[in-house]
Amino acid sequence: MKIPVEEALRYIGAAEADAETRRMAEEAAALLESRLTPRYVWRAFRTARSEAGVLLPEAGITLPGKLAGSMLAECGTAVLLACTLGAGFDRLEKEWETRDMARAAVMDACGSAWAEAACDEAERGIAGRFPGMYRTDRFSPGYGDLPLRLQADFLRALDAGRKLGVTANESFLLLPCKSVTAVIGLSDRPQGAKIRGCAVCGLRENCEYRRRGRFCGE
Amino acid sequence: MENKLPVLLDGAMGTMLQRSGMKPGTIPETLNITDPETVAAVHRAYIRAGSGAVYANTFGANSLKLKHSGYTAAEVIAAGVRIAKECAAETGALTGLDVGPLGVMVEPLGSLPFEEAVKLYREMMCAGAEAGADLIAIETMSDLAETRAAVLAAKEETDLPVLVTMSFDETGRTFTGCTPASMARTLEGLGADAVGVNCSLGPAEMVPIVREIRENTRLPVIAKPNAGLPDPVTGEYGVDAEAFARAMRELAEAGAEIRGGCCGTDPAYIAALARMEFPRAKRPEITGAVCTGPVCVRTDGIRVIGERINPTGKKRLQQALLEEDTDYLVEMAIRQADAGADLLDVNVGYPGVDEVQMLPRAVKAIQAAVDLPLQLDTTNPAALEAALRVYSGKAAVNSVNGKEESLRTVLPLVKKYGAAVVGLTLDEDGIPDTAEKRLAIAEKILDRALALGIPREDVWIDCLTLTVSAQQEQAAETLRAVRLVTEKLGLKTVLGVSNISFGLPNRMLVTQAFLCSALEAGLTMPIVNPNQKEIMDIIAARRVLSGEDAECRAYVDRFAGETPSGGPAETKAAPAEMTLGEAIRRGLRKEAGRLTRDALGTRKEMELVEQELIPALEQTGEKYEQGKVFLPQLLSAAQAAQAAFEEIRGSLMKKGEKGTDRGTLIMATVRGDIHDIGKNIVITVLENYGYRVRDLGRDVPPETIVREAREKKIRLVGLSALMTTTLPAMEETVRQLKALPEPPAVMVGGAVVTADYAERIGADWYAKDVRDAVKICARVFSDP
Repeated sequence: MKIPVEEALRYIGAAEADAETRRMAEEAAALLESRLTPRYVWRAFRTARSEAGVLLPEAGITLPGKLAGSMLAECGTAVLLACTLGAGFDRLEKEWETRDMARAAVMDACGSAWAEAACDEAERGIAGRFPGMYRTDRFSPGYGDLPLRLQADFLRALDAGRKLGVTANESFLLLPCKSVTAVIGLSDRPQGAKIRGCAVCGLRENCEYRRRGRFCGE
Repeated sequence: MENKLPVLLDGAMGTMLQRSGMKPGTIPETLNITDPETVAAVHRAYIRAGSGAVYANTFGANSLKLKHSGYTAAEVIAAGVRIAKECAAETGALTGLDVGPLGVMVEPLGSLPFEEAVKLYREMMCAGAEAGADLIAIETMSDLAETRAAVLAAKEETDLPVLVTMSFDETGRTFTGCTPASMARTLEGLGADAVGVNCSLGPAEMVPIVREIRENTRLPVIAKPNAGLPDPVTGEYGVDAEAFARAMRELAEAGAEIRGGCCGTDPAYIAALARMEFPRAKRPEITGAVCTGPVCVRTDGIRVIGERINPTGKKRLQQALLEEDTDYLVEMAIRQADAGADLLDVNVGYPGVDEVQMLPRAVKAIQAAVDLPLQLDTTNPAALEAALRVYSGKAAVNSVNGKEESLRTVLPLVKKYGAAVVGLTLDEDGIPDTAEKRLAIAEKILDRALALGIPREDVWIDCLTLTVSAQQEQAAETLRAVRLVTEKLGLKTVLGVSNISFGLPNRMLVTQAFLCSALEAGLTMPIVNPNQKEIMDIIAARRVLSGEDAECRAYVDRFAGETPSGGPAETKAAPAEMTLGEAIRRGLRKEAGRLTRDALGTRKEMELVEQELIPALEQTGEKYEQGKVFLPQLLSAAQAAQAAFEEIRGSLMKKGEKGTDRGTLIMATVRGDIHDIGKNIVITVLENYGYRVRDLGRDVPPETIVREAREKKIRLVGLSALMTTTLPAMEETVRQLKALPEPPAVMVGGAVVTADYAERIGADWYAKDVRDAVKICARVFSDP
């Protein structure tokens, strides 16, 4: 799986990067691809409704709040997903922070873009296992009002400690650092795109793109 | 001990509890108290199927995972072991205390301090031993550092046999990059009784892993595979009991002597194993090795030990050690690794440096970025032990010698932590002047090591190089001693090579000649400066002549102009008439360094800083603000300025002046927050504006930041937080800082921090980005 370099450049605010920065990003991507393999694990769970939110009874998880409620309104199944570049990324990034901070910064962005690309690949696999079903947008703890603490519950339900070596600390941050948890609803009815854009983004207050009247997804 | 180990273990516990209807989200270990009958039924089924040992339901029973359960680890473990013992009593099967990962990552990968991990495991080991467990089974481990913590706790607190298995994936490594060879070497050294692999893979995929473990240990090897891989839709595993048992035969041939099952297996799988006849694999010959998690270096060829991390005669390193600047050490380590070193000697002994504190810090910092095994070089036993404890892998110790005091203090540490050791051929009477007497000391060191149970291959001998210009006849004696030790004792030898030429003109030539002769005499582990091409050329040539470099491949590569490793070179060409400012703006490190050196001939240090460096950084910074250059260029410029600063610093140091200190600040990522690249970026840039930064790292408790600020009388503290969940820790840190009698100014930043928020929590400054941080520093430090 290739690293989407353009995406990575956008992450560090260098979408219109010069040739030099672009070359740096391509080199970082090549190094990462030669050393690491992103891994992911997913599992499908039945959904149910309750006062407290959307239930995943087999996982022992409740997804509270408006975002999960509206996203999964028409979904009988929800897939939990965890993905990571592994501890190898953290180590490599540390090494490059010492060698060359500019490259480390670019590498960091490449890692983020790669983890998202791996989630995309996982989603294609999920789609293949549920032909004829429609997927919602992928969303994660920390988006909108979906609490970040769910990251720990997702890891437990997926046995992601054993299967991927991903852990959450007491602040519910994931380690290794390029790790993602997410949920995707499956429905027999088409699901419109709902969560792209600034409304659900936790960084909207500070976003450099937004300040310049732009959008990170452009 | 070995005969007491069981041959057939049990299968999965979690799978069975789920089938028994355990509620999703339940912490499985709490069933020991709430539903002991369900747990007992699982044990009984495995014992009926033929298990010679059952693992109690205690895998995750540590204080971290049970924090919110309402039970203590000791309670849950006591109950779990009791249930298993009652079931096992009927057949005489053994009861294992089952111990899994803590669920958080240990430093340097994570932020749980190593000794905290030992403490958490100690609690489990004590509870298990007290409840009467017959053995300890540490399993499903991924991080070698954490595994070491568990084994150390088991060995320090109990006399029980310790079985250790880690989980490897199909690439043949654990998730944290540990190899089977490194696992085997490290854990045998620490005193494990059996080692192996469990979980993650099915039996067929485990074969190469078991084989590699087998080749690297004298201990019995364990295999506890999964029943294949689970289906993400149904949760079912793919390999049935009969196929599992058949595949296990292959694992037995590869060397697995202790067998069982992991996820997806049940009593039917164990029964199938019980019915099967297994072959016994032959024990292999073991060659010596040292390792880190990712790299195992066998000592069966020429291995270069890099000597650079040693402050003797190195002003810049001395200063870095006094300032506790581990980044500089890491840089030196990386440079030697790139130059082809196989091991790195680490010596931080210097007047004014607290080795007991600094050596383990240096080890952790280097291990976070460099994979090579380290040779811990100290004469301070307390520093040695502190470093051996945290070293992740199997280290080398430099050194022990023939003095009684040294043998008595160093060798027990080497044994306890499973290291290799360099024995210096000197004793109470000094360095003997004949090769025979040096051999005798080597023999004495070997005997004492063997008596403690240190394997022969882990003893390396240093016959000691003396300066040829001072004691000319001793060069030949040293070479003869190397030959004697190699031939008579069959031990590997180490030698600090460059000492030979001290005080002579054209030193390199004498050093090279001596290196050639020593290699011919049998030296395999020269301690050298790998950054000297002439030295590494000799090594490359010698590896060709000895046949170690098969088909001369490495040699051809070396001289075909392809660097075998290392960072990409600076490719941007510098025009002939470039100014220092231009070199910085364009991020040309080498060029900036060279131009600074040239300029220092005619201009004063501080003049260069004020008139060239800072303005160039400012111009780049302004362009960054305007969106005309991007973060990577800003950082490149900062690093080019750093190269210039290094020259200026060196020049000032020669004159005995300090000079470039524009003020010292603290930077830290707040407690609970583990993403620190943003903070590190800011540090890179600030340092290149001449500010001194004390980097306290990530996940730093408020108390640590406050103490440091108070003790060092810091005027500015920078805090970063990335996630909403760690903002309260930022607020708390600011609160505590502001409660100090002389509170420092505080600047805060990070993805979720806003100007409003900064004001609300009482911070003095909000830094939107690295440019803001630079401006804030200028404001804060411009006031006297």
